[in-house]
Amino acid sequence: MVEDVEMTSMVTIDNVTQSFALKDGGQYIALKDISLEIKEGEFVSLIGHSGCGKSTLLNLLAGLTLATKGGILMDGRQVTSPGPDRMVVFQNYSLLPWQTVRQNIDLAVTNVLRHLSSEERTELVYKQLRTVGLSAAADKFPRELSGGMKQRVAIARALAIQPRLLLLDEPFGALDALTRGNLQQQLMQICQEAGVTTVMVTHDVDEALLLSDRVVMLTNGPEAEIGQILNVHLPRPRQRLEVMEHPDYYQLRIELIGFLQQQRRTRQRRSAVAATMATSPSRTAKVVRLGYLPGLDVAPLAMAIDSQLFDPAVVQVVPESFADWRRLEERLVDGGLDMAITSATTPLQLNLGLGNQPGQKRTPWAAITPMTVSRNGNALCLARHLLDLGIEDRASLVEWIQARDKPFTIGIPQHHGIAELLLRHWLTAGGLNVEEHIAFTMLSPLTMVGALRTGAIDAFCAGRYRVAEAVEDRQGYVLATDLDIWSGHPEKVLTTSEAWAAANPEALVAICSGLMQAAARCDNSNQRDEMTRVLSQPQWLGTRSAIALTRQFKTGRGDASPELLRFNQFHVDRAHIPNRSEGTWFLTQFSRWGWCPFPTNRQELLALTYRPDICDHALAEAGFQALPAPRSTFALADGIPFNADEPIPYLKKQLQGSLPPMERAELPATSSQQPVLIPTA
Amino acid sequence: MTTALAKSRKQRRSRIPWLNTPLARQIKAPVVCIGLTLALWQLLCLPNPDGFPGPIQVITQTWTPYISQPFYDDGGTAKGLGLQILISLQRVVVGYSLAAIVGIAAGLAIGLNDFLRRGFDPLIQVLRTVPPLAWLPISLLLLQQADSAAIFVIFITAIWPIIINTAVGIREIPQDYTNVARVLRLRKRSYLRDILLPATAPYVFTGLRISVGLAWLAIVAAEMLKADGGIGFFIWDAYNAGGDTSTSQIILAIFYVGVVGLILDRLVGMVGDRISGGGR
Repeated sequence: MVEDVEMTSMVTIDNVTQSFALKDGGQYIALKDISLEIKEGEFVSLIGHSGCGKSTLLNLLAGLTLATKGGILMDGRQVTSPGPDRMVVFQNYSLLPWQTVRQNIDLAVTNVLRHLSSEERTELVYKQLRTVGLSAAADKFPRELSGGMKQRVAIARALAIQPRLLLLDEPFGALDALTRGNLQQQLMQICQEAGVTTVMVTHDVDEALLLSDRVVMLTNGPEAEIGQILNVHLPRPRQRLEVMEHPDYYQLRIELIGFLQQQRRTRQRRSAVAATMATSPSRTAKVVRLGYLPGLDVAPLAMAIDSQLFDPAVVQVVPESFADWRRLEERLVDGGLDMAITSATTPLQLNLGLGNQPGQKRTPWAAITPMTVSRNGNALCLARHLLDLGIEDRASLVEWIQARDKPFTIGIPQHHGIAELLLRHWLTAGGLNVEEHIAFTMLSPLTMVGALRTGAIDAFCAGRYRVAEAVEDRQGYVLATDLDIWSGHPEKVLTTSEAWAAANPEALVAICSGLMQAAARCDNSNQRDEMTRVLSQPQWLGTRSAIALTRQFKTGRGDASPELLRFNQFHVDRAHIPNRSEGTWFLTQFSRWGWCPFPTNRQELLALTYRPDICDHALAEAGFQALPAPRSTFALADGIPFNADEPIPYLKKQLQGSLPPMERAELPATSSQQPVLIPTA
Repeated sequence: MTTALAKSRKQRRSRIPWLNTPLARQIKAPVVCIGLTLALWQLLCLPNPDGFPGPIQVITQTWTPYISQPFYDDGGTAKGLGLQILISLQRVVVGYSLAAIVGIAAGLAIGLNDFLRRGFDPLIQVLRTVPPLAWLPISLLLLQQADSAAIFVIFITAIWPIIINTAVGIREIPQDYTNVARVLRLRKRSYLRDILLPATAPYVFTGLRISVGLAWLAIVAAEMLKADGGIGFFIWDAYNAGGDTSTSQIILAIFYVGVVGLILDRLVGMVGDRISGGGR
C-alpha cells in the first residue's frame, strides 16, 4: 500500500518552509515543514483561515515563488520556475483586459502549444469555449462579462494548454452563491473528464467536500503546518445534492468546520494569553523550581545541572525531588513548582481535568509541554516465582491470569499514565480482558520492589533502574519492555503552565535547550561513565542504583541479555518533539477505557497542550537542527495502524465497532481567570 | 411641502420647452456665468472709455483684420493670428514629438531596469522642476538659432512627465499579468506586445497629456523672448507697438492661446482613450 502511494505520487512537497524577510530585519515564517504527496488524477483542497499560507503554498507549487527550505518535486523533477505544465487559475481571473475572450485563450495556446498549426489552435480555442459554454462570448472583452463568466474563461484558458497540474486559487471566492454552485459542478465534470490533477485553495467547506478526494487543513499562520488531512471517500461521479445527502457527508463536514473553529479559538486563546502576560526581559536570571521523580528518565536534567548547560544568565534551575506523582502534580498546580518532568500523559490529563485516581476529576489546568524529555525505558517486571511457573511470554501470562480466580495485581506509578496505557494496550492485544482480570495499584516507584517482595503485587511496571534493582535482588524478572509494546513512545515530558510559558519565554527556551544538549550527551555511549557518575550523586539515583545501570541490563531469565542500546532514548530520532499525533493516541486510549469522552475539539486541545514551536526555538538555541514531527501512521502491539487524522475509525476498531462517547472538552480558562474579549476577525 | 415645491418647479420648467432639451440644459450654466462675467467686465470699463477696453471694444477694435482675416499675410512678421498660431504649433509638434519618442524610450529603459531607475531618479526629480524659460539661455548658447532653441525648450520641458509616467506604468503592471506571463512562459516579443505595452499605455498617455500642456506653455513664453513669428511673438509685438488697439490685440491673442491649449489637451486625451482604452 505504501509502495503503491510512492509509485503513483506525481507531486511531492518535501518539508517545505517559506519565510519572508520583514522590514525590521526579522523573518515572517508563513509555512513550516509542509510535506504532502499528491497522486496523479487526485483532487486536493487546501483549507484554512486567511493568513494560513494556503495561497503561498499554491504559489510554491506553481513555481512563482521558491521555498526557503525544502523543495517540490513534480514527476521526479524539482520545481524551480513557473511553467505551463502547472497552470494557475488566479483568484481574480487575471484575464488581460485589452484582449477579447478568444484572444486571451489564444495567447496561452499560441505560446504553449507551438507545435499545433494555426487552424488546430483556433479549433482548440473554440472547443474550450464550448466546454465552458461561452462560445457566444468569444469576441467580448472581459469587462463585458460577469464574474462567473470571467472565471469560466480563466478555467478554459487553463485547460486549453492541457496542464499536468491545475492550480486553483479560491476560484469561486468572489462569486454569488448560485453562480458558485453551478461553476463547482461544471469544474468537477471538466476535471473528471480531463483527468487532470488539481490542487484548489478554498475557504468554503462544502466546496472542498464536493470537489476533493482529500482536504488538507492548515493550522493558523505564522508557521502554518498541515493540521489534519481528511480523506473524502464519497462516491464519484458526484452531484451536489446527492453528495449532501450521503450519510458520511455530515460527519465530514463537522470534522472540517470543527477544525476551522478550533483553529480560530486557538488563535484567540494565544493572543489572549499573550495580551495578559506582560513579558519583561529581566536583568537577573530567573529562578525556576523544577520538580522530578528520581529515575533514569531525568538523566538529562542531572547532566544539564552537573555540566551547567542551563544558561546561567537566563535561568537558575532549582531541582526538587518528589517521591510520588500525586504530590508533584499538586505542587505544580498550586504554583509551588514552575515546571516538572512528568509522565507523557500528564499535560493532557491536566488540561482535561483527568485525575490520578480512577474516576477522580479535578479542575482543568492549562498545561503545555514544550518538549519530550525521554522515550522508552519502561519494563514489566514479574515476581520471581512466576518464572518457576513457566510464564515466559505474554501468551503464557494471559493464559495463567485467565485461569486464576483473583485479579492479577500490577503496580504502576500513577493511574492514567503512560505505563498503564501501554500495559492495557498490550494485555488486551494478547486477548485478556483487562477490566476483569487486572488490578492496577498506584505505588510510589520507590516502594515497588518492596511491594513485590512482600507479595502485595504480582508485577510492576516502572523505569529501567527500578526493574534492574529487582532483577539484581533476584526478586523479579522482565517479561516485556516497552520496546515490545510501542518502541519510541514518549515517556517523560517537560510540563509547565500555559501562563508561565507565556510570561517566561526566554527562561523556558533556555531550560529546554539545556535539557536537549544534556540529552544528546546521554545518548552518546562515550558519555555513559560520566552519566553514571552524575547519577550516583544522592539527589538523583544514589550509588547503588547507578551501579546497577553500569551492568548490562539483565532480564533475570538466564538467557543472554539482549542488546538494549536504545532502551532509553533521550535525543536521537527527533526524540524531543512534542508530537500531537502521539497526543491523539493518548486521547483515543483515555476514551477507550472510558476515562473521559473523546473530545470533539481535539485539535484545539492538542494545540494548547503540545508546543512544537517552543521546541523548535530551543533546538535552534541548542544548535540542533529542528526537524518536523513525523506525520506518518504508527502501529503498536496490536498491529492496527494509528493515523492521527482518523482517530475515530481506530477507536471504533478497538471498541469492536461501537462509537465512543464524544463530547466537547471544556478547556481550562486562561490563567488571568477573566475572559479577555478578542474581536473576531 | 416638498411635493408641492417639486410640482411647482416642474410646472415652471414645462412652460419653456426648449430649455429642457439636453443641449440647453448642458450649456445653461456656462452661458449664464460667462455672460455675467463679461457684463461685469464691461461695466467696470465703462467709466473710462480710453483706458482698459471692455469686451465689446476688444471685438470691435480687433475685428479687422485679426478676427475677420485670420490668415492674411503682409510679408515679414505681419501675419494673421491663424498663421501665427500655426507657426507656434509647428514648433510644438517638432519639439513634442521628439520629447515623446525620447521620453517613452527612456521611460521604458528606466522602468525595466532597477539600476537605471535608482540612478537617474534624483536627476529627473531635480530637472523636472526647472521652469521652461530657465532653459532658454542655455539652448540659445547651445543652438545659436532662435527657432531650434524654442524647439529645444519645448523638448526639455515636455520630456519629464513622459519619462516618469512611462517608468511608473511599467512598475505598476499588475502582478496578475506578470504571473500569467511567467506561467505561460511568454516569449520576449509576446510579453512586450501582449502585456507590457497595453498595460503601460494608459500611464504613457497620462504623461503625454501633461506634457502637451507644458509644451504649449513653454512655446508662448519662449517666443515672447526670442523669435520671429508665432503667437507669443505676436503678443510681445503688440505690447511693444503700444498702439490704441494693442491691449485688445493682446486680449484676443490670450483667448486664442487658451483655446488652442484646450484643443491640444483634448486631442491627446482622445487619442489616448482610443489607443489604450480598448477593453477597459
